[in-house]
Amino acid sequence: MLEKLMNIDRRIIFIAIALSVIIPTLLPVNLPITGSEPTQKLYDYIDALPPGSTIMLAFDYGPSSLAEPAPMAEAVMKHCFDKGVRIIGVTLIVDAVTLADKLMQKVSEEKGAVYGKDYVLLGFRPGVTQVILGMGTEIAGVFESDYTGKPLSEIPMMANITNYDQIDLLLDLSAGSTVEIWITYANVKYGLQIAAGVTGVIVSQMYPYLQTGQLVGLMPGFLGAAEYEKLINAPAKGTEGINTESFAHLLIVGLVIMSNIAFFVHQRQSVGASSRSQREE
Amino acid sequence: MTRQVPLVLCFLFGIVMILTEFVPHSRSQGLYQGIVNWSLIISPFALVLAVATLIQTHWTRISRHTEHWQYSYVVFIGIIIMVLIGVPTFLNNVSFLSKIGLSFGPKSPIFEWLFNNVQVPMDATMFSLLAFFIASAAYRAFRARTFEATLLLITALIVMMGNVPIGDLIWNTVMAWTPWDDVTSTARQWILDNPNLSARRGIILGVSLGVISQSIRIILGIERSYLGGD
Amino acid sequence: MEVFGIWVAAFLTFCIYSFLYRDNPFYRFAEHLFIGLAVGYGIVITIHQGLIPLAWNPLWQAITGEGEASRWGLLNLIPICIGLLFFARLSRRHSWLIRYPLAILIGVGSGIAIPNVLQADIFAQTHGTLTPFSQIGRLSAFEIFGAILMVIGVICTLTYFFFSVEHQGAIAGISKIGIAFLMIGFGSAFGNTVMGRVALLIQRVDFLLNNWLGTLF
Repeated sequence: MLEKLMNIDRRIIFIAIALSVIIPTLLPVNLPITGSEPTQKLYDYIDALPPGSTIMLAFDYGPSSLAEPAPMAEAVMKHCFDKGVRIIGVTLIVDAVTLADKLMQKVSEEKGAVYGKDYVLLGFRPGVTQVILGMGTEIAGVFESDYTGKPLSEIPMMANITNYDQIDLLLDLSAGSTVEIWITYANVKYGLQIAAGVTGVIVSQMYPYLQTGQLVGLMPGFLGAAEYEKLINAPAKGTEGINTESFAHLLIVGLVIMSNIAFFVHQRQSVGASSRSQREE
Repeated sequence: MTRQVPLVLCFLFGIVMILTEFVPHSRSQGLYQGIVNWSLIISPFALVLAVATLIQTHWTRISRHTEHWQYSYVVFIGIIIMVLIGVPTFLNNVSFLSKIGLSFGPKSPIFEWLFNNVQVPMDATMFSLLAFFIASAAYRAFRARTFEATLLLITALIVMMGNVPIGDLIWNTVMAWTPWDDVTSTARQWILDNPNLSARRGIILGVSLGVISQSIRIILGIERSYLGGD
Repeated sequence: MEVFGIWVAAFLTFCIYSFLYRDNPFYRFAEHLFIGLAVGYGIVITIHQGLIPLAWNPLWQAITGEGEASRWGLLNLIPICIGLLFFARLSRRHSWLIRYPLAILIGVGSGIAIPNVLQADIFAQTHGTLTPFSQIGRLSAFEIFGAILMVIGVICTLTYFFFSVEHQGAIAGISKIGIAFLMIGFGSAFGNTVMGRVALLIQRVDFLLNNWLGTLF
């Protein structure tokens, strides 16, 4: 029995995981979300920006990881548009630019933001480090035109923006190592304030940068998205997601505890059986 | 010529970038920016390397009829469709093509449709498979066999529960008799802010020292593996 | 077209999920199609967002004298020619030529990295480890405990990675504490990774139940 439980067919676990997500998606619940300090810090920083300030939003995630950063981007954009903070979209990841374009259009339509006045999407340039360093001297030196090919000189909101000196915050929505690269080159060399919204996979490695102040705030995965949505009082995909996620986590924790109990009982039984057979010999 | 010149180039560009970093003179900064701009121009050409390797791999599979070689044609079809629709923006000026509703380039509705309805769902689904595998792996391999494994296990369970609102809800319901609220998320935050931070900082310091020493070795020509064989 | 797109996306989603049962032709088809489209997409974006604006446009403007471009723009021919050497990869005889652009990019990358990584990751992180002690008068007992724990953790973790001395005696003890800190670090990484992976599944299930089934009911 115990052996069977320990070597359960993996497809049964797959079905259990699928159900733990499907059922709460069909029958959503509203669980109370407790805010964490890193998300609060980011919210406070953006909230304190006067209207007319500019933040740079780096969409450094691809389709493989859009589940977490996309709701974060949405929540932050809503907050910025409500506050009159302008947004410059940019990406260092090749497959992010169409996603960023679609998302910016969606949120701007919802909030009535105007392209070129309230927000702009610069697009993508290959080179990562060189792109960051190049923009530090002159953004137009790297992005002569925006994603649509319109020269930056013809975009009203870019009229007084030359380099990072006119950017109040860079928020990197990342699924990889780009946060560290932004910190190493934009923060160290040009003093640009940096915050991050990252996927669960890389959350843990962000904390040393948060403690040193190299990151002014952090949205940790789905939880961060949900917390930010709560702060701006606009629950959306992040909130729905973290509520659904609760049940999957509960199941995985339950599975781990169950497998450990089975393991210890089995170990005790086999130790008992071997000592009995030794005594009989 | 085949190895010495690249080594000299690497040394020169590396040294110039280090020196200009410490010299704030406008000419020095101009040189720094000039080199950054040059490497920005060179970078996109590196795409050739990736594409050539992929095409070569799948071409070899087809020519040698290795297992599942037929699917390599699907790879080529995918590349050709995207390139044919995405690259030739000059075709947007051909009135016949515009009349029949065809448009080209990265902002073309067909290109965006393919990206949003074919590439994005496949990419997202491919990685979502990991949710199943991580749960299965946790069930099979996450055992408290040793002290270290137990630490890892307990931390993972606390962080997992602290990451979701149900963690605090369970604590606040089951442990309502205690004077502490939201202990699950507080414990998670403490772990991330303290022992996790120390371990990560140790790793960052170690990795950074490695990056710096490797960079010095590359500039000085001690590390030459990037030159390849022959 | 939108509904058709949702059905195509749903079909491909199921093709990939079929792998959970076992490897099959539907999965293999979707996997290869994905690779092809992703590479094709990368080529298109790199050409339109990289090669054309960074290399072609400045050069063309320098040749034709359009806009604010000056003849100095012709100097861009040098990095363009260096970049073109990447095409030498296509010829077995001349493939060694790609070492030139590679050497320049790696040299520039290494040169930039040394001072900036030193500042961002060595100085700032060491400074961050000691900063709490400069404010010790303002810290609570629990925060002081945290600060001491942080210093112990960093030193012990670094000792574990220090392979120049044999891990015996006191060093072995310190590195064992380092392992304990690392295990807590990896445990928290695992806990967060679970959140990330399940989030991806939630997004797909949300698509299937709300978007795809939404077209039916």
